[in-house]
Amino acid sequence: MEFIIEKIGMSRTIEVPSVPVTLLKVIDAKVCEVREDGKALVAYNSSKKLNKSIEGQQTKYSISKEFNKFMTIEVAEGTEAGDLSTAPLAEAASVKTSLNTKGRGFQGGMKRHNFSGGPAEHGHRFGRRIGSIGNAEWPGRVQPGKKMPGQYGNTKVTVKNEVVSFDAENGILVLKGSIPGHNGARGLVRIVK
Amino acid sequence: MRNRYIESFERAQIEAKNIPAFRAGDTLRVAVRIKEGNKERVQNYEGICISIRGEGTGRTFNVRKVGANNIGVERIFPIYSNSIESIEVLRRGRVRRAKLFYLRELKGKAARIKELRRK
Repeated sequence: MEFIIEKIGMSRTIEVPSVPVTLLKVIDAKVCEVREDGKALVAYNSSKKLNKSIEGQQTKYSISKEFNKFMTIEVAEGTEAGDLSTAPLAEAASVKTSLNTKGRGFQGGMKRHNFSGGPAEHGHRFGRRIGSIGNAEWPGRVQPGKKMPGQYGNTKVTVKNEVVSFDAENGILVLKGSIPGHNGARGLVRIVK
Repeated sequence: MRNRYIESFERAQIEAKNIPAFRAGDTLRVAVRIKEGNKERVQNYEGICISIRGEGTGRTFNVRKVGANNIGVERIFPIYSNSIESIEVLRRGRVRRAKLFYLRELKGKAARIKELRRK
């Protein structure tokens, strides 16, 4: 079972020992159509974007204007069209959360792959360079997958966390530990057990 | 401003706590629960509060005392932690700063703080 979530931010508890927690808001979703493979098309709110194709879908499934974004997610057995029930989250012990990590742009080898770099001073010219990337005439090419500078971050990462509590009224899911992405980032949680 | 969901999550935990009002410069007696093996006991720690920082459940205060052999000891406690049994204000100090880190440089008589007298 999957749910669309938004990362709110982090806090901690006052227990001994104190537990670091991440708060997530479960986004309201409407089930439009349940497929046979346990997945369903759901609609949720995302900005104010509206065009004729979205409007067409909204009339087709008779849902209101705010639900202007569609996505296919796994749902619990016996789900019917209408509001997506968050009841399974109340019994969840641990969940897997998938979010995009913070984008860091084009980064060098030191930041991206933890290369050690060279001395900064005393006549050295190596600095933060990546060094040699291959051998000699043989094999005459760079090995595939060689770690080099490039885009770092903004990739989908999935982590597993324990559930601390779930507030069904406000749709607030509290997880132990941290999750990827910035505050306000949207992603999916999947119930592991 | 903090997020209202984070605030309500923290308020739910803090609400039941009864913490006396104190500020930097006050002399405090903090009763700390200590677990040794499977025995639990309460230890008192006394000193001058030199700073309070943070918000919500992460709020902490720093208590400084000069221990045996004139060695300064500073302990930082989370105000709302369950490991704190009680906080008692023994003496209110007259200070003009929110953070009293200058006390670290002072010794003996110079490191005293005048008691606050309200008119």
